[in-house]
Order: sequence, then structure tokens, then C-alpha cells
Amino acid sequence: MRKWLFFIPLVAFLGLAVFLFSGLFSDPHLHENVKVEQAMPAFALADLENPAKTVTEKDLLGQPYLLNVWGVWCPTCNAELGFLTSLRAQGVKIVGLYYNQPTDSAFGEQFDLPTLQRDVARKLAEQGNPYQLNILDKDRSLIFDLGVTGAPETFVVDAQGKIRYHMVGDINPNNWPQLEAVYQQLVKESHAGVTP
Amino acid sequence: MNPRRKQRLFAVSAVLLLLGGAVGGIMYAMSENVDLFYTPSQLVNGLGDEKTKPVVGQRLRIGGMVVKGSVKRDEHSLKVSFDLVDTGPVVTVHYEGILPDLFREGQGIVAQGTLQDATTVNATEVLAKHDENYMPPDLKDAMKDIKHVAPATQGGSN
Amino acid sequence: MITEAGYLALVLALALSFALTLFPFYGSLKRQMEPVLLARPLAVLMFIATAFSFYALSYAFYTNDFSVMYVANNSNSLLPWYYRLTAVWGSHEGSMLMWLLMLSAWTALVALLARSLPLILQGRILGVMGLVCIGFYAFVLLMSNPFERSLPFYPVDGRDLNPLLQDFGMIIHPPLLYMGYVGYAVPFAFAIAALLSGRFDANWARWARPWALAAWMFLTLGIMLGSWWAYNELGWGGWWFWDPVENASFMPWLVGTALLHTLSVTEKRGTFKSWTVLLAISAFALSLLGAFLVRSGVLVSVHSFASDPARGLYLLAFLLVVVGGSLTLYALKMQSVRSQARYQLFSREVLLWGNNIFLLTATLVVFLGTIYPLVHKELGLGSISIGEPFFNSIFHILAIPFALLLGLGPWVRWKQQPVTPLVKPFAFIAVVTAVISLGWVSLYQSFTANLALLGLLLGVWVMTSSVAEIGQKLRSFGGAVGLKKLTLSHWGMVFGHLGFAVLVIGVAMTKTFSVEKDVRMKIGDTVKLNEYSFVLSDVYALKGPNYLGQAAELEVYDEGIKITHLHAEKRFYPVSRATMTEAAVDASLTRDLYVALGEELPGPSWALRVYVKPYVRWIWLGGVLMALGALLALFDRRYRQRSIAE
Repeated sequence: MRKWLFFIPLVAFLGLAVFLFSGLFSDPHLHENVKVEQAMPAFALADLENPAKTVTEKDLLGQPYLLNVWGVWCPTCNAELGFLTSLRAQGVKIVGLYYNQPTDSAFGEQFDLPTLQRDVARKLAEQGNPYQLNILDKDRSLIFDLGVTGAPETFVVDAQGKIRYHMVGDINPNNWPQLEAVYQQLVKESHAGVTP
Repeated sequence: MNPRRKQRLFAVSAVLLLLGGAVGGIMYAMSENVDLFYTPSQLVNGLGDEKTKPVVGQRLRIGGMVVKGSVKRDEHSLKVSFDLVDTGPVVTVHYEGILPDLFREGQGIVAQGTLQDATTVNATEVLAKHDENYMPPDLKDAMKDIKHVAPATQGGSN
Repeated sequence: MITEAGYLALVLALALSFALTLFPFYGSLKRQMEPVLLARPLAVLMFIATAFSFYALSYAFYTNDFSVMYVANNSNSLLPWYYRLTAVWGSHEGSMLMWLLMLSAWTALVALLARSLPLILQGRILGVMGLVCIGFYAFVLLMSNPFERSLPFYPVDGRDLNPLLQDFGMIIHPPLLYMGYVGYAVPFAFAIAALLSGRFDANWARWARPWALAAWMFLTLGIMLGSWWAYNELGWGGWWFWDPVENASFMPWLVGTALLHTLSVTEKRGTFKSWTVLLAISAFALSLLGAFLVRSGVLVSVHSFASDPARGLYLLAFLLVVVGGSLTLYALKMQSVRSQARYQLFSREVLLWGNNIFLLTATLVVFLGTIYPLVHKELGLGSISIGEPFFNSIFHILAIPFALLLGLGPWVRWKQQPVTPLVKPFAFIAVVTAVISLGWVSLYQSFTANLALLGLLLGVWVMTSSVAEIGQKLRSFGGAVGLKKLTLSHWGMVFGHLGFAVLVIGVAMTKTFSVEKDVRMKIGDTVKLNEYSFVLSDVYALKGPNYLGQAAELEVYDEGIKITHLHAEKRFYPVSRATMTEAAVDASLTRDLYVALGEELPGPSWALRVYVKPYVRWIWLGGVLMALGALLALFDRRYRQRSIAE
């Protein structure tokens, strides 16, 4: 009778371990974004450099692209600009989705487009400009539709406007090969005219 | 039964009794203090497959977006009310106190409080997105499955 | 260059940890002394290599080497040098390196200080430490290398350190906490070594106890500092939030406290052996579990580091090997160990059983409260959180029998205690307790049975009994000369218990008499809390070196007499877009006055959070006393004897 008593701690621990193991993988934060394999949400937003022009999801069809969510206030985004610029030189289409982060209203800072344009232009001149165009999401509505939880995040969208991959965090030489495989596959598909 | 055995029996049963009481007490206290998380549509339409709706007076957490233009402040005190929305139904939250630093219209927040009536919550605590990398985790989960419907009244201002 | 050298030093340390595991185990298996003797220099070398590696990372921070990714992500050139250095452990990779530094430091300390132990045992202990080291070194090298470069594209400047972390409390809180966590590796190694040999005598407990004391002391200080930091920096005026990360540090503390007590039983009475070993394993297992919960993303809290399932998987596998392995060993080996000691129902042994039961129930409560939301979600029942009242109500209940037994414990003899000799002193203690606590509480309220009265009764009970026990000991030794005869570990116990009493009083008084108010004020407005009137005299804009902000000036009056001036700030850091509340606190032994500035409202008026928190300092004072008790016990002469070689 006494012997099995000493196995209780082990059994309890193993039970806990099994549970933790399942918890590790079913954690919803680590799941793929639900927007993957869905069409790009509809939007009509201003072009940051040319606010008179409205960009919609339809303007971006025809060629696979990376939709890179960023902002000048986000240091990690700024750190990846250099690498992204080198990707643009290799022919990768990158569209910026500018994530406007409101400042604390208590300090009276209001949204000011010319200031923002100046800040962005300065940052891109300094670090390199990877973007074919920058979409300004002033009210953070597209950000919200996409389920973005921070910056930087990048979506890989195919020629038909369907989101195929979502990445949280910066793109760097280490993780690019993985993303590149997805991207090149989409380029191949678009050339072959395959509708997935 | 010899006295030694008797004593041991007494000790063991005392320990078991204590342990049983403790576990029972813990379970009871826990069931009393579980705060379920709802989004506004879950609060109105019910949660899960059984569509269980919270009862009035129940402690709960609610997470959603603050509807633009819905924040109403009392002029003389820190009483404030605002509407929360996710996919459709709107829930009103009443709160008295200091709102978190990053409380904004159009931002995601989580409120902890009790249900006052079917669509009203009295909040004791309001939490907002902490910085660009942090969103209250419950809200983050909830936000992933919902489609944001921009209120129709919201044109392109400023 | 030095960055690469730091990386190589870490690789070298991993190699050394392999050697540290292999040689002594091989030696003890073959009964050869030479490989076992190697363990000592290996442990010291491993520490030196790790220290160099830590120095290399600190140097990269100091010189703003932003080609190192970790530096770029956690520091920038505008930070003053001391915050650049403390940013080293501001995030996951660097804090893991600090964890390694602590682990190798403990290993080296064991190697240097445990020389009086039998050689084989020494070798086994170091071997187990080496095994634990392998796991953590490999983790850092494979999954969280802080030395990774981001060449050829690297940022010209880094990102800001989270302003929350730019604080003195934050700077020393993690190192202390890690010292405690990692310190439990030593009692763990002692337990495993003893399991391997199958011998548990009084010596074993006497050797292991100082290490358990040291780890407990660091953990106590670490937890206290964390609480103090939250109180000062988070701007909420709370000192404990039952946050999963706090709970992760509280669980090993509770089990560690139980371990301290059972080790003394094993040391003095040769009983409780299997239980003590289980506690030693559990304390370390809970430290590892804490690391797993915080770093895997399974639990999400404000404190969590960036989560990564691969890291979580690794840590879980490691946990499985270390804890699963040691519990299997425990189950197999411990069956044959028997304790001979006999004891009666009313004896110190039984009271210490009581101590353990309550401490472990408390651990269970914290554990369930932390893990239950996870289970709930896992079963698809929706997201939940466990409210603070759950923890609070159960801890209030548990505290009562725990404190009552605690007052009794030191008076009761081992084996058997006749009741009659205790009746007189305890009648006296009960009367003194009742008089003091009723008198004390009447300073604040009329006689009502509430938490404050309960807390005072319990706290004063423990205090009176501790002081009276010292008095009785002195009498039996024949007066003041007896002070010398009392051992340091006895004083350690007294301080530990007094610290607990102070803590209990602090918690009860703060919880009962705190007044917390969120108010809307215009300049010149007054708000009254208890006897204190707070007058808002001015609010103005601020411009700091890397922040903008607002400051509020308040004068505080007590019955018309000005007692202090408070200056509260709210800051906004544009680089990191973070808003920080710098609360103003006027601290004293019996009350804190606390003001935090909130948002500006039309009027112009401001939202202010105003608190009066009586006795909140006692909570941390209690922690410091407890740690001091552990320190005193550490220096007891019987832990320094170098003779015992069998």
C-alpha cells in the first residue's frame, strides 16, 4: 500500500505536463491569423504621398505583393526598412500600410498630415524606401479588419487579392527564405494564371 | 486496536478531513470568482453553443471597441459612460474613476464589472491597450474572429 | 569582436557543463577519485566563462553596438549609461543570460563551499548541477542567443527601453528573483544526490539547509522588491495583483518556506525524510514551471516576455526530463527509506506538519488560480479570469490557523510536549495579545470584528509569543548572558516569524483602512480622505529630456496643519509612445499618502487618484525582516563546521 504513494507526485506531474503540452499548441495567440486564405478586406484609403488619390483593394490586384504594416514611431519597423529596400531592388512588390498611432490627447498633439508626410519622407530617405506606395490608415480601420495587433506585421497577398500568409514581427535575412518561398510560389501561380 | 494504531488512524483521518475541506472550499471560492469574458455580441446573443447569457448582477469582463462619439462625461465628477461594439450589438459601460492612459474612442478596451441590465455593465476597472505591442490578451483573441463594421455615420472628418 | 568572444565563451561554458556532468558521475560509478576531483575546477571555470559572456553583452550595450539585434531592440544611444547596462536583462535573451550567470555562480559556490562534504556526494551534487546547466546553456545557445547580429543591415539607433523598466526597483528586482529561483537548483541537487546514494541522515539535511535558506532569502527579497516596484511605478497603488507572473514566483516561495521547516525536522529528528526530498524537488520544479509559464506564452500577463512556442516546447521537454526524471527516481528510491522517529500528537513534529499543510494548501490555491483559466479555455468554455477575491478570501482563512500554530510552534518540544507547562505562559500571551491589539485597533475604529482586528490579533499573537519565548529561553539560561547562548539560527527563526507578523499586520491594516478615491479637481479644490485634506495648488506642463508631461502640485493638511507637499507627474515618451504615471508618495511608518495624476478634463480640471494607505510599509518591512532572519540563520555556526567526514 505504501509503495504506490510515492508515485503520486510523478503521476500528478505527468498529468500537468500533458496539459501544458496541449496548452502550448492550442494557445489562440499562436494560431494563424483567421484572415489567412481569405480575400483582402475591402477598403478605400488615401495614398500617403498623394492624399487626393484613393487606393482600394482592387488597385493592388494582378501581382502578388507584401503588405507591410509600419509606422515611424515603431523602431523595429524602421530597422527592417533597409532589408526591405534590398528586396524591392530584387523586384519584390511591397506596399506599405501606414499605421497611425495616436498620441495621448492630454498633450494636445493633433493629427497633422504635412508633418506626418515630412516625418515619413525623412525616415525613408534615411533608411531606404521599400514601398511602391504607402496607404494611410488614419482611423486604423483596415488594421482592425486585418486583425493586426502591433507593428511590424506583414501579409503576403496573391495576384487575386487573397491573403496567403501572415507574419508578425520584422522581416530579416534569417526569416526571409521562408517568406520568399511563399512569395515566389505566388509569383509562379500568377504567371501560370492559376486560380487557387 | 492498539493505541498507536488508533492514534495513527486519528491523524490520517484528520489530515484527510482537512484536505477534503480545503479542496472543497477552494473549489467553491473559485466558482464564485470566475469572471467570464464576453464581447458585446456574446453578451447580447449568448456565449458558446448553448448561447448562455449572463444574469443581472453577475461579475464579468467585456471587451470591445469604444464607439466613436459615445463617450459621455459627467461635468462635475469622474462619471463616464461609453458604448462598446464588436460585430453588431452595442453594450453601454458606466464607470467612475480614472480612465487608463490610452483610453480612446475607436480603441479596444476591456472592462471588468457587473451586469446591470441586458445591455449595460457597471465597470469597476477599465483596461486599455498598453503600448503598440500589447493588447489585452482576451480582446486580442476576440478581435481575431470578428469583422469590423464601421459605423455608417463616420465620414472622413479632419 | 568581443561580442563573438562572448558567444564563444558561452559555447565553452556549455562544453564545461557537459564535462561537469560526465566526470563526477563516471568517477562515482567507478569509485575513482580523480574524475570527481575535476568537478570543482570545472564548475569554477564554467562560472568564469559565463561571467565573461555576460560582460561581453554588457559591453555591447555600453558601447551602443546596434549591430547586435538584442541591443538594438532594447537600448538606444540616448539612454544614460546605467540604464544601458541594466537593459541587459530587460528582455528575454539577456535575462536568460543572467539566469545562466546566477546558475553558474551557485554551482561555483557549491564547489568552493561544500568541500567538507564526502567527495562522492560532492561530485554527485555538482554533477546534477551540471546537468541542469546543460539544459539552460543549450536553451540559450539554440533558441535565445543574445549575441545574434543583424548584419549587414543594422539600425543606426536602437529602440527605447520600456520606460516602465527605467526604475531602480526594476533594476535589482529580476537579479534577486533569479538568484532565488536558480538557488533552488542547489537543494534540488542535494536531494537528487542523496536519492542516488540512498542515504539520508541528519548530516544531509544540515548540509542542504543553508542553501535552501540562501535561495529563500533571495526569493523573498526579489518578491518584495517586485511588489514595491509595482506600487511605485505602475501607478495603481496596489502592491500585489495575483498576476500569473507574480504567482509564478510566489509558488516556489511557499514551497521553499515549507522546505526550510521540514529540513530542520530532518536535521534534528531524522524524520520527514521523504517529504523533505519531495519539497526540495518541488521547489525547483515550481521555479522551472514559472520560467515555462512566463516564457512560453501559455499564460499571458502584463509582465510576459515575447512568447515563442518553440521555446515553450524546449522548456517543457527540459521540465519533463528534469522533474519527471527526479520524481521517477524519487518513487523508486524513496520507498525503502524509513524514518524511525516516534512522536506524539502534541509535539513540534505535528505542528510542523500543520505548517506544511497550510503552506501547501496555499500553494495549491495559487496554482489552481493560475492554471484554471488555462484549463477553462482549453476545454472550450470561453475566456475567464479568476478574480482577486478568490485568492484574498482563501488566504484570509488560511492565515488564521497558520498564525495560531506559528505562535505555538517554537514553545513546543520535539517528540512530546505535556500541555500543563504551557498553560500559564500562553494564558499570559493571550491576554497581552488581546490588550495590545484591541488598544491598537481602537486608535482607528470602534470595536468591530473586521479584517484589521483579525490581522492585529494574529500578528500581535505571533509577536508576543516570539518575544516571550526568547524571554523564557533567557531565564532558563540564567539572564542576559543567555543572549550569547542563543544560536544565530534561533534568532533567524525569531526574525522570520516577526517578519511574518509585521507582514500580516501590514496587509490587514492596509486592506481595511485604505481610502482610495478617484476625484475630479480644479486648481484650488480640496478633497478630504480620513483626516487628511489634499489641496490641488497647481498643474503645469513639463518638458523632460525624452518626454513631455504634466505635473501637479498638492499640499496636504492634517487638521489644518500642513504636513507635506506632493508632486505628481504624468509623462509621455514620444519615442516609445508610452505614457507613464509618476505617482507622488509621502511615506511614513504608519501611513502612505499617494497621489497620481490622470487625464485633463474640460474646465480645466484634472482627474486625480488620491490614496491614504495606512501601514502599507509594513508589508515590505515584514519581507525585509524575514530575509534578515534567513541571513542570520545562514551564519549559524553549525553550518560552518568543516569536520564531518564519514
